[in-house]
Amino acid sequence: MVEVRRHNAAFCQPCFVHHVHETVKRSVKSHRMFGPDQRIMVAVSGGKDSLGLWDILLELGYRVTGMYLGLGIGQYSERSRRVTRAFAEERGAELVDVDLQGEYGYDIPTAGRKGSRSTCAVCGLSKRYVFNRVALDHGFDVVATGHNLDDEAATLLGNTLRWQTEYIARQFPVLPQREGMVKKVKPLYRLSELETAAYAFLRCIDYVVEECPLVGGHTQLRYKAAMNQLESTSPGTKAQFLLGYIDRAAPLFRNEDKAELSPCERCGQPTTGRFCAFCRARAQVLGERLGAPGPAAEDDRQVAGELSEEVLPAELYGDAPVGR
Amino acid sequence: MDGPRRVRDVLDQLGIDPDTVLVIRERALVTREERLDDSDEIEVRPVISGGSS
Repeated sequence: MVEVRRHNAAFCQPCFVHHVHETVKRSVKSHRMFGPDQRIMVAVSGGKDSLGLWDILLELGYRVTGMYLGLGIGQYSERSRRVTRAFAEERGAELVDVDLQGEYGYDIPTAGRKGSRSTCAVCGLSKRYVFNRVALDHGFDVVATGHNLDDEAATLLGNTLRWQTEYIARQFPVLPQREGMVKKVKPLYRLSELETAAYAFLRCIDYVVEECPLVGGHTQLRYKAAMNQLESTSPGTKAQFLLGYIDRAAPLFRNEDKAELSPCERCGQPTTGRFCAFCRARAQVLGERLGAPGPAAEDDRQVAGELSEEVLPAELYGDAPVGR
Repeated sequence: MDGPRRVRDVLDQLGIDPDTVLVIRERALVTREERLDDSDEIEVRPVISGGSS
């Protein structure tokens, strides 16, 4: 039996799996996330949410391919890749396997040491960039990520506490396709982390349970703990907060999305500056110089100014860092 | 830990929020009202992750 307190219900195994599938179907339909003929790329990390999402979409009959990005975080990444490949083989599912070091010349531990951004921040922007890049290169119609109710509620809480209205404006279950940006969706947003974990367990999905060793005590976990404390005394709080925002408050923030985008001078991806956050972070890690050679002084000053920013400029699909 | 006792009592004694863990006994999920005997072995598996997975 699986308890879902906010529904005041306990499900037997088959009914719980049905509940999860129906919840995802409802999310997909109500936000027009994708159709049966569209090619979906699921960003998979080897964790319960992304593998669970991949499983659900396969079971529901969608045209879905997994995409794994190797981050170079030692044994953690080795195990993540292993479970992802095993998942794909068992189900005869397609998998695109990309290695950050191999394709882009750096891994996350190195980037965390050498760059000016936190490890979680450079990891997040690397993932966002590569997911989009791979989806464009392979002609996928939509990128799906395993963000769940707990993730989204914690992100919303963090951004609201600091009134980062531009980030709030961009938090939604669907981010539409734009020039240079593939449509991005979060089909699990109505399901709590407990539900996604229970689903993965009941479906016998082997996933990486242990936390990324580089996470440390970062802010997202503190916001999740705060939300769970509220939830324990008032079941349904997380869902009311997030779903209430989506249904009633999101339209009020639309005008806060003021980012004006133009192509990155290096890679062509949409950005608010001369160069996108990924190219800037990568250049910093690799010790490369952005911009054309000379008049060197002016170029160097401008690029140095960009590299020294502590807060990433708003990118259209930036999940709010919230300490990531 | 001595039994018999309910799952919820075990978690309470360990200071664990029931919404943040799966409790597994003999490869099956157990609810918080389930009674555990002295001889039972359980796994308390955290579900909360620090980043998007």
